[in-house]
Amino acid sequence: MAAFFRLRIVRDLLIALVVVFGVGSIAMLLAHVSPIDGFAALFDGAFGTTSEFAETLVSATALLFPALGIALAFRAGLFNIGAEGQLVLGGLAAGVAGVFVPGPPVVSIVVTLVAGAAAGGVWGGIAGWLKARFGANEVIATLMLNVVAALFATYAVDGPLHFATANEGETPLLAPTAWLPTIVPDTRLTIAILIALAVAVALRFVFNRTVFGFELRAAGEAPEAARRAGIDLRRIALLAMTYSGAIAGLGGATLVTGVLHRFNTGLSPGYGFVAIAVALVGNLEPLWICVAAFAFGILQNGALSMQAEANVPRDVINVVEGLVIIALAGRRYVASRRST
Amino acid sequence: MNALAAALVALAALTLVKATPLIFAALGGVLSERSGVVNIGLEGIMIGGAFTAVCVSGATGSPLLGALAGVVAGALLAALLAFVATRLAFDQIVAGTGLNIVALGGAAFGLVLVFGQPGASREVPAFGQTGEGVLTVLAFVLAGALALFLNGTPWGLRVRACGENPRAAAAAGIDPLRTRFWSVVAGGAIASLGGVYLSLAELDLYSDGMTAGRGFIALAAVIFGRWTPFGATGAALFFGFFSALQYTLQRAGIPSELMQALPYLAALVALAGLAGRVRAPASDGIPYIADASR
Repeated sequence: MAAFFRLRIVRDLLIALVVVFGVGSIAMLLAHVSPIDGFAALFDGAFGTTSEFAETLVSATALLFPALGIALAFRAGLFNIGAEGQLVLGGLAAGVAGVFVPGPPVVSIVVTLVAGAAAGGVWGGIAGWLKARFGANEVIATLMLNVVAALFATYAVDGPLHFATANEGETPLLAPTAWLPTIVPDTRLTIAILIALAVAVALRFVFNRTVFGFELRAAGEAPEAARRAGIDLRRIALLAMTYSGAIAGLGGATLVTGVLHRFNTGLSPGYGFVAIAVALVGNLEPLWICVAAFAFGILQNGALSMQAEANVPRDVINVVEGLVIIALAGRRYVASRRST
Repeated sequence: MNALAAALVALAALTLVKATPLIFAALGGVLSERSGVVNIGLEGIMIGGAFTAVCVSGATGSPLLGALAGVVAGALLAALLAFVATRLAFDQIVAGTGLNIVALGGAAFGLVLVFGQPGASREVPAFGQTGEGVLTVLAFVLAGALALFLNGTPWGLRVRACGENPRAAAAAGIDPLRTRFWSVVAGGAIASLGGVYLSLAELDLYSDGMTAGRGFIALAAVIFGRWTPFGATGAALFFGFFSALQYTLQRAGIPSELMQALPYLAALVALAGLAGRVRAPASDGIPYIADASR
């Protein structure tokens, strides 16, 4: 039993739970709400009805994609703080591609998803290239690229990519042939969740069973030894950031084709940042990240009814998520980080 | 001619308004990073300073007390980061990212609690134009003082030693953990003045998202300014100028997003070393662990 609690994943989950319920309760008391009522409203909103549960899974899926991308980069010792920007540009590319490719259902869906992954991959790849070519610190680069992505998306949809049929800050509504099929009728739960789970399984295989996965880990945990063993760290940086961005971009594309059916500049309420917490709680292990994404999906979605029914401002959830990130920052992700 | 002169004066004045919060935040970043702690949480610290200042000014009717409270709040947020980054040797990047999320959520939550409404606070007693000028002057004075401190005092030398080679510093009898802790806390206090400026000088209220990424521009200014107080101040003025220009040109119908992106693109160029060599303090971002065997 003691050995069980020494497992990192168990310890991290316990820490996360203590932060969620501890800080959450304090915040609810500050708002003059009994924590029992507050959490009851939260869980009721997350699980109460079929459609509410479906919506929880929709939130979980939105977090799962960027979290998996982040895990891939973190494993290589690369701090991809830029999932948010990669996700937004992936969504933008999907929203635009979907308008231009009104082909048969399968074709248009595949094209929009590929466009999203490609755009996210390019955006992540820029940071990887700057790192590989110039040794530029990827943390600062991805932070800057986040803001540039948001500004670019706003500029694009109201400027050169503005369609007469679209409102300000949006691309036009996609044709239903480009919508992801739903799993549960009359909800927004689509096959996006199956795609995300497939990506998780694939990543687990890549991490544990492939040369590339081994190279990622070597580059992250012992870069100097990896370099001496003949692993090209520049190639790893470029590839890891590109793939990481592509997964986040794919997530953005599924939000467009599956949830909103158009790109909107408000596509992501910070999924790319909360996903950092998801990846950390999941201990950078793809299957545990799925569990963590589900848990955070409960928080994200339950927060809405907690606000509506128990009068606790839903921003509490952000405080809790941020504190979880801080509490789990203890793992030494990079053996010997080089600044800039 | 007079119209042109008036326009230039207006642009210069607006540049100072836009640059002042960036200078405060960037100076805080310089102090923290020269001691060896990367402060990604500058944005959150500005938010904490801006929000707390408005709450206390609203409650007491004194913007001065509000500003002091804002500085204390910024220092406390920085102390949280400093504690996990030094004593616990946690990852600074991850912790700083978390700090930003905590502050943004905390201020949004606090708005509802204190002012009973989401989005923005009510208007509170603020400094007005005189205070705006005083704070701008203070920003420049702090830049000079920080340069003098880092380069001309034994304490400054200790801070720099911890940022370059904490182990050697420890061998020379300096406590790297303590030095880093207080550098981050003091840096947070300075950076929070940037938030106070936004909420009590430029405006007289707090609204969600009012820092609008200025903490990240300040990070860019730290790099662009080569981790020196005057360099960072110059970079902040440069970014402030483009921000002011953007407001001026916006009225002429030029898309503002491209101008807004400029500081970030400039930082990427600087980061890639395309604008000359950039060298961060050698141990910037690396936790110091006393036991050498680990």
